[in-house]
Amino acid sequence: MKQKITRRVMLSLAATTAALSLAACGGNVGGGSADGATFPSGPVTFTVGQAPGGSTDLIARAVAEGMAEKLGVAIPVVNKPGANGALATEEVAAMKADGQNLVLLNASLITITPLAVAADEAVSLDKLDVIAGLSQDDYVMVASTKSGVKSVEDLTKSTSKLSFGTTGVGTGSQLAQALLLAQAKVEGTIVPFDSGSPALTAVMGNQVQVSTVQLGEAKPQIDAGTVTPLVVFSSERNEFLPEVPTAIEAGYDVPVSQYRAIAAPKGLSAETKTALVESVKAAVAKDTYKSFNESTLLTPKEISGEEVVTEWNALAAKYKKLTEQYNISLASN
Amino acid sequence: MDFFGPVLDGFGVVLDPTNLLYCLLGVAIGMLIGVLPGLGPAATIAILLPMTYGVEPVTAIIMLAGIFYGAQYGGTITSVLLRIPGEASSVVTVFDGYVLAKQGKAGTALGIAAIGSFIGGTVGIIGLTFLAPLVAGFALDFGPPEYTALALLGILLVATISGGSKIKALIAAAFGLFLATVGRDIFTGAERFTFDNLSLADGIDFVPIAMGLFGLGEILYNLEERHRAAAAPVAVANVWPSRKDLKQSSGAIGRGSVLGFFLGILPGGGATIASLAAYAVEKKRAKDPSRFGKGAIEGVAGPESANNAAATSSFIPLLTLGIPANATMAIIFGALLIQGVTPGPQLITEQPELFWGVVNSMYIGNILLLIMSIPLVGLFVRILRIRGAILAPITALITMLGAYTIRNSMFDVMLVVLFGALGYLMKKFGFEPGPLVLAFVLGSLLESSLRRSLLVLEGDPTGFFTRPISGTLLVIFVMVAVWPMVKTVMNKRKKANALSLETKVKEKV
Amino acid sequence: MRADHAPHVEEAAVQEEEILTPEQLAEVWAAEAPEPAGPVANLLSSLVALALGMGGLVLSLKLGLGTPAEPRPGMWPFVVSLVVAVLSVVQIVIGRTGGKDGEKFSAYSWYAAIGFATLVGMVLLMPVIGFEIPSLLLCFIWMRWLGGERWRSATMYSILIVGAFYAIFIAALGTTIPRLF
Repeated sequence: MKQKITRRVMLSLAATTAALSLAACGGNVGGGSADGATFPSGPVTFTVGQAPGGSTDLIARAVAEGMAEKLGVAIPVVNKPGANGALATEEVAAMKADGQNLVLLNASLITITPLAVAADEAVSLDKLDVIAGLSQDDYVMVASTKSGVKSVEDLTKSTSKLSFGTTGVGTGSQLAQALLLAQAKVEGTIVPFDSGSPALTAVMGNQVQVSTVQLGEAKPQIDAGTVTPLVVFSSERNEFLPEVPTAIEAGYDVPVSQYRAIAAPKGLSAETKTALVESVKAAVAKDTYKSFNESTLLTPKEISGEEVVTEWNALAAKYKKLTEQYNISLASN
Repeated sequence: MDFFGPVLDGFGVVLDPTNLLYCLLGVAIGMLIGVLPGLGPAATIAILLPMTYGVEPVTAIIMLAGIFYGAQYGGTITSVLLRIPGEASSVVTVFDGYVLAKQGKAGTALGIAAIGSFIGGTVGIIGLTFLAPLVAGFALDFGPPEYTALALLGILLVATISGGSKIKALIAAAFGLFLATVGRDIFTGAERFTFDNLSLADGIDFVPIAMGLFGLGEILYNLEERHRAAAAPVAVANVWPSRKDLKQSSGAIGRGSVLGFFLGILPGGGATIASLAAYAVEKKRAKDPSRFGKGAIEGVAGPESANNAAATSSFIPLLTLGIPANATMAIIFGALLIQGVTPGPQLITEQPELFWGVVNSMYIGNILLLIMSIPLVGLFVRILRIRGAILAPITALITMLGAYTIRNSMFDVMLVVLFGALGYLMKKFGFEPGPLVLAFVLGSLLESSLRRSLLVLEGDPTGFFTRPISGTLLVIFVMVAVWPMVKTVMNKRKKANALSLETKVKEKV
Repeated sequence: MRADHAPHVEEAAVQEEEILTPEQLAEVWAAEAPEPAGPVANLLSSLVALALGMGGLVLSLKLGLGTPAEPRPGMWPFVVSLVVAVLSVVQIVIGRTGGKDGEKFSAYSWYAAIGFATLVGMVLLMPVIGFEIPSLLLCFIWMRWLGGERWRSATMYSILIVGAFYAIFIAALGTTIPRLF
């Protein structure tokens, strides 16, 4: 806690000094400052489409810290929550491609959200230059201790109708759970919550019997024994939860994880992109960032921007096929 | 020991220099706005919300809480010196405080008020410390049906207990619920009432509504109202109360603190009602009630202790149930949500540093209040001479520029101005803006909990009544809804023997 | 009401130097308070609320209601709008004898209207020419005409205030508020 406070104070101090030096430049109305010859030409704004304090926000702040050091300018993180991050992403995608504006991308926005909203509202990677991939965050299905459910098998055998909490419409939690239930032929009531924490609390109080939430959120409760982990949805076992089987091992074709990457508006100059890629590399190599990943139970997936585009587009296609095959509609639940 | 560990850790959070500084800042701002008639704590907190964006949630709430209880004391100063209550909760302090000031004992009145506020506040915090974990013990029993019942009860209580027309308050509340539905429906992903405007896709932000209705609305109203000129303040001599005064008021301070604590917990209650009740109690208990209104020190001590105790205890329903008890708490609720903190039964176990940090900051804040109030009285008297004509544009500009900085959006500024006009008109036509803001804040909780409950209960509404907690809450809900009707019948029997003091004071408020 | 709307009632009352009992004081306050808005205002405001409720009903219907067991997005807003509409009708009926709440508009209400107009002007001008000049004008209008300051003090304070805001919001906090300088 204290560490975080001092870090924020430092960051805001850095931002203030940077702004002070900028203030001499004059007005910002009409046309804007068109001096973008060199990068960076001032503080780089890092937009996050999620609320402050959530896992996405924390990742952005952890990376921004290292990048700011490498680039030598302040990187203030700006939260613009809304529509799973679509609002923030659309906004940044429409900005000038000078590298002064970055956005943290959640894979679910590209791969899953399009399954839940109208085609014209979906976000596509075509409008963005992906700088680099960052990490993988796994979903885990947990059951309340009172429900007596201890494995996926118990779900299929359950005689009473169970309720299943998700973390919202168009999220990986919803997709993974819907696919698993469809493949296991389990009937249940789907109850959407607005984020992970209430969905988990509801399981702890047996308000719903099962929820699928992100591992980082569920781990303390799993360790405390207040909820029972059933299955993780990553393609391989998660290093932080090695004794829990994956859905694929259990015989279900449900490879769903949350991935995160950094992107900028399309059309960056080669030098700017290189500078940004280098700064991300420097940031993720730092020990503080590595221990951040460990403490928040994130698996590093530091791949290039091009790899991110191919992998995410492949996943989007796969999810589309699976939902059609099992006749799942994410929007009407 | 399990209980005291987190409490002590909370003190560690408060003693962090940044937090101490913000606590001091909050208390100072609170006293200042308490001194300036016009803007209340709800308006000030709404206007200053953008200031809290860059800081940690604990720090932000510590400052906002400081503004709230600081204002309770600041309001006393104008009541005593000018016969103008700076805050609604200081109205009754005028009766004896101003007379004391005329008798040359302004210092005594302010000193006793400061001491009473300190003791009242401290009693409130101790109660909060022990009561909150008790309530939070039920945390896991709170499922969607319980939240539905709680949100319904909270909205109804605030709408019916506030002064003015109940039906108009309910209309305002229902309209607030409607405004909360703008944006994406979290159950289906469908867009509602956005008119294809991207700025609305996310719903209307809470901050422009609060800043507009409370902040700009009051500023516009004051432009008109200010033309009732104010009197020159009375001079202040000795601030330290004598031993005799202290002895005379100690009972009043004790009673006021306890009474205020309990009235503050009730949704829709809070500092104003607590101070009114404390004054009535003191007058009833006195051997010679005719002294009241002629400079009885108990008439200052009781209400001042009560309003501070109530200001503190009104945090209990917010921090433990996630239900704001009054308009100011609704804004602090909004501020917490913006910071990514959802107040509710699980707050105390999930974020103990935040919870105990905020609670314990109140001890420090109360000490700061006591230390600052006595030497600063002279300064506040001077501030009272700043003309409203100069203050008005300053507050208006803070609101406008502050609104812009939240999301760097002119759309938000436009919303603030529009809701400012709405707030002004509502006031003119007898609609309280408080219930609207409160209902707006609770709106999405109410809708989503209701729909979630119906899913969990498989569409069977009797399930709400068979669960113990939600059943109890709904019974209370029905009782509160029926009570005003019973009361009107009773009042008609009593016959209108003129208007009671209380209703008149409320009108002034 | 005996006190009319003379602006100096309060001063006069203070100068009497009399010690008032709480009841008398409450009476003075009641006399000073502006007149209630009255039945016409009640009718008008209730009609506006009714119109809002009806509008909400229509828009919610367009979203689709569904059934209580399986609600569509319009169900909840429909219920809420219905409450607004019904309560507005109730208010029209029971408030027709003259509401005791609210306040009549007075000559000073123009001040609030002018204040609102300057704020709208500021919103329109800010993105075009920055915040400095609109703020300066707003301060000056509010002080000179709405506040009754003298020309000199109004000019001086306006410049000081805008300068202070520039220093805080632009120089110190580094916000991106549209600005000219």
